[in-house]
Amino acid sequence: MNDKKTTHFGFQEVPVDEKAERVAEVFHSVAAKYDVMNDLMSGGIHRLWKRFTIEASGVRAGHKVLDIAGGTGDLSYQFAKLVGANGQVVLADINASMLGVGRDRLTDRGIAGNINFAQCDAQFLPFPDNTFDCITIAFGLRNVTDKDMALRSMQRVLKPGGRLLVLEFSKPQSEILSKVYDTYSFKVLPFMGKLVTNDADSYRYLAESIRMHPDQQTLKEMMDNAGFVRTEFHNMTGGIVALHKGIKP
Amino acid sequence: MTNTLTLAALASAEKMINAALRYDPATRIGLAQLEGKIIALHITAPAINLFVMPMDDELRLMANWDGDVDTRITGSLFALAQLTRTEIHNLKDSGVTVLGDLTLLAEFQRLVKNLDIDWEEMLSEFTGDIVGHQTAQLIRAKFGWAADRAKSAQRLTSEFLTEELKTLPGKPELEDFYRQVDDLRLAVDRAAARVEKLIAERNTHGFPGSRE
Repeated sequence: MNDKKTTHFGFQEVPVDEKAERVAEVFHSVAAKYDVMNDLMSGGIHRLWKRFTIEASGVRAGHKVLDIAGGTGDLSYQFAKLVGANGQVVLADINASMLGVGRDRLTDRGIAGNINFAQCDAQFLPFPDNTFDCITIAFGLRNVTDKDMALRSMQRVLKPGGRLLVLEFSKPQSEILSKVYDTYSFKVLPFMGKLVTNDADSYRYLAESIRMHPDQQTLKEMMDNAGFVRTEFHNMTGGIVALHKGIKP
Repeated sequence: MTNTLTLAALASAEKMINAALRYDPATRIGLAQLEGKIIALHITAPAINLFVMPMDDELRLMANWDGDVDTRITGSLFALAQLTRTEIHNLKDSGVTVLGDLTLLAEFQRLVKNLDIDWEEMLSEFTGDIVGHQTAQLIRAKFGWAADRAKSAQRLTSEFLTEELKTLPGKPELEDFYRQVDDLRLAVDRAAARVEKLIAERNTHGFPGSRE
C-alpha cells in the first residue's frame, strides 16, 4: 500500500515532495511572458488589486519589507520607492526564472541600493526572527505546498506589530459571477495561455489551483491559527480576489 | 471600503497629473522635498476620502491609507478649491479644518498654486520644436485671454450688484460702516472704563453726599 502523503496540484493529487517541483515547472514555462499574461487574463485589473495592497500596507520610509513570491517585482518596485534609501525590500521567490525576470526588470527601472533578492521557500524563510515591518505574498500562497507552515514562517520573521498581507484569488460572492468566472477560467484562460506562451497546461493549472485554494473565511482562520491577530479580509471584484490582513502580536 | 472602480479612477487621475508634472520641473523638485509625507483629504461634499503622497517627484493618489498621516484636511470640495487659490493666513471661517503639520499644507498649497506646465516642451515631443512652440504660444495667449476675461467678468458682476442693483454695499460704504463700528466699539470701551472707574471711586470714598 502506498502511504505517501499527498497534496493537490490543481485538481490532481501528487506526492507532497513533488508539488514544489511541478509548480516550478509551471512558472519556468510562463516567466518570460508572465506580465503580459497577467494583463491579458485580468484585463489589467491585477494592477488595481496590487495598488490596493500597497495602500493597505502602511509602508513608510525606513521600513523593511519582504515581498514573497514577488515574481516580476510589481509590488517590490512600489515598496522600494516607499521605503526610500534607509529602508530595505527583499524580493523573494522560490523560482529562479521568475526572480531573474524580476531582478532584471527592477534594475532596468532604476531600482537599486535598497533592494535584495532571495531565492527561497515561503515555508522555510531564511531570515532571523522579528525582521520585517511588512510581508506581502501576492498570488503565491496557493502554490505553496504547506500553507500553514508558510504562514507560521512568515509570522516568525515579522516584527511584533508588523503586518502580513495575502493577496490571492478567492471565492466569488455571487452565483452568477461564479459561473461566468468558471467558464472564463477553464475555457478562455487555457486558450489564451496557448496563444501567448504556447502552454495551455500551465494556465489550466493556474485555474485549477485557484479553485483548490481555501475560501476567504478558511484562510482567515488559518492566519488566526498561525498566530496572527486582528485578521480581516477585503473582497475585490466581487470576491474573485481577496486581500487578507493580519498583525503579529 | 474602496471598490475597483474608485481605484481605477484614482489610478488614471494619478497618471494624468504625473504626465503633466513631467513638464513642470520646479514643482517636481518641490514635491521631491515632501517625499513620503501623507496628506489626508476628507472631502465632506461630495463625500470622498483621498490620500495624497508625494513620492519620487511624482504624486501618488490613494483611496485608502492604512498608516500614519502627517496632515489631515477636512472640508467641502468648494472650500478646498478656494484654499488652493488663496494664501493661508487664517483658516477661520474658511470651512476647512486642518489637523497635524500645517507647514506641509502650506508647502503643498504653494506648489499647487505655482503649477506651471511647460506646454512647449510637452507639445514638442509630439509635434517637433517649431510647431510645438507656435501651439504653446497660442495656448498661452488663449489661457491669458481666458484669465483676463474671468477677471473682468468678476469686476463687472460686482459693479452690477453694487452700483446698478444696489443689492450689495460698495467697498467705500463698507469701509465707512466698519469705521463707525470701530468708533462705537471704542466709545463703548471708554464708557465701560469710566463706569469701572466710578465704581472703584464709590467703593473707596462712597457716593458724594452719602453719610459715610
